[in-house]
Amino acid sequence: MKKSLSIARVGFRQMFTDPMYMVFTLGMPLVMTWAMSFLPKVEGVYEMASLGVLVMFVALNLITSASAVIEEKQNGTWQRILCSPTSYSAVMGGYFIKLFVVAWVQALILLLSGKFLFGAPWNSGYAELAVVLTVYIFSMTGLGLFLASILKTQSQVQAVATGVVMVGTMLGDVFFPMENPSGIIKLIATISPQAWAAHALRDIMTTGAGLVPLIVPMLWMIGTGAVLLTAGVWRIKLDR
Amino acid sequence: MAMLEINNLDKSFGKRKAVDDLSFSVREGEVFGLLGPNGAGKSTTLSLISGLQRPNKGRVTVGGINVGEDSLRAKALIGVVPQEPAIYPQLSARANLRFWGELNGLSKKELASAVERALTIVGLTDRADERCSKLSGGMKRRLNIAAGLIHSPKLLIMDEPTVGVDPQSRHHILETVKELKAQGTTIIYTSHYVEEVEQLCDRVAIMDHGKLLSIGTLPELLGQAGEYQELIITLRTTPESILPVIQALPWVQNAVVTNDVLAILTANAELALPQVFQTIVENELELAEIKINKPSLESLFLKLTGRTLRD
Repeated sequence: MKKSLSIARVGFRQMFTDPMYMVFTLGMPLVMTWAMSFLPKVEGVYEMASLGVLVMFVALNLITSASAVIEEKQNGTWQRILCSPTSYSAVMGGYFIKLFVVAWVQALILLLSGKFLFGAPWNSGYAELAVVLTVYIFSMTGLGLFLASILKTQSQVQAVATGVVMVGTMLGDVFFPMENPSGIIKLIATISPQAWAAHALRDIMTTGAGLVPLIVPMLWMIGTGAVLLTAGVWRIKLDR
Repeated sequence: MAMLEINNLDKSFGKRKAVDDLSFSVREGEVFGLLGPNGAGKSTTLSLISGLQRPNKGRVTVGGINVGEDSLRAKALIGVVPQEPAIYPQLSARANLRFWGELNGLSKKELASAVERALTIVGLTDRADERCSKLSGGMKRRLNIAAGLIHSPKLLIMDEPTVGVDPQSRHHILETVKELKAQGTTIIYTSHYVEEVEQLCDRVAIMDHGKLLSIGTLPELLGQAGEYQELIITLRTTPESILPVIQALPWVQNAVVTNDVLAILTANAELALPQVFQTIVENELELAEIKINKPSLESLFLKLTGRTLRD
């Protein structure tokens, strides 16, 4: 655990000393959250858009942050870590903690700024929101590590991340309600964890939904996250 | 006592055999040189020793611990200095060393003194709190070495630590190796530079195509080189067609061309040289420089493999 925390800590220091990372993960989503605050706060329109921003940027953050593994492989620190007396599970545990914490910090800043700076009318459902966000972050961490395991360069990750996240959010009924979607759009809305997360978060904030009706989306996100995480961790181990 | 034992090691990547039935041992406290050109299998051998890769066959034992069976305990005895600096450019030298110390199991108490010790050894104490991205290439390489010895390993693996460094940093790195040797650290040192290996190493193994070609102390290996000398002839341009002509000359045992430098192995430079000159003149080639090397690891390597170390 101590070594996992060391790996996570070094990851935080790398990220937070990179101004571009801060602009990308906090600056841009904060501006968008602020812009969304001008939407009418009726019939869930505002919730849909502002939570959509959160869902989209958390996904982008996790996928691009997970690609740090690729950067570490290129600069040799990954190999040096594996040469140290640190178990592979502790190494991956460190990366997992890092990703989980940065995504939660980002989500928290967006939620708190929405409420206290931009006047979001949210007064309850915090516990349910925390549970759904945790599950969503888990599934996106799995996706991020899986992509990091199959892609070779940072630019590939950026291209794929943009594609996967944009398709999952734009066509997944995250920002705009879609009446009776069919074909490929229905499929995307059905499999995209972003879509499941956005709907669950919106239900919590607008209708006060509890966790019981959200079991299916949460199980789907946990399942996809677990499968992708296992595949990613296994592939990264193979590719030394 | 052997600090490292390698027995019948095999490693293949697809159909290519990178390490082929390799066996040797390294004694405690010695500096052991691993010589070979690019693609000889040196880096793969080092990866197998450090537990980064698993062999297809064979066994590696470090300090009596089988790397394949108890890799974490074996890794705790090993320090690795990779060819390219493996450090975090955004962090300071001190923060890097603290991190590598933590990963190598140093306690908080041990960490502070270990970091200072490593910084002192590589001469970076006064730059310790600067971001690594601001350090020169040579300083990064010195920090790379410090990261490898932060936990005072019993066995230090150094993979071409002086490639591309300025003369001052190179001198510092070589002095560091001598100091570590004096402290009793066992070191495996790979290099393209024969003079470094001759200067630092107690014993040397020569590898090519994944196989061990020869092993021994410097005098033993030079004995194998026998009376062979090496003629190094630099030409302005070297057409491919000249090589078979040179190779066919009497007194020429072998010859190779690398970047307009003709390396010729001969048992008698005095007799070979006039004939080589004549061939050069007949082919209207322009001579830039000529050097006769006494029997060396370079000439032994040429004799054993038909290649130069810088191939």
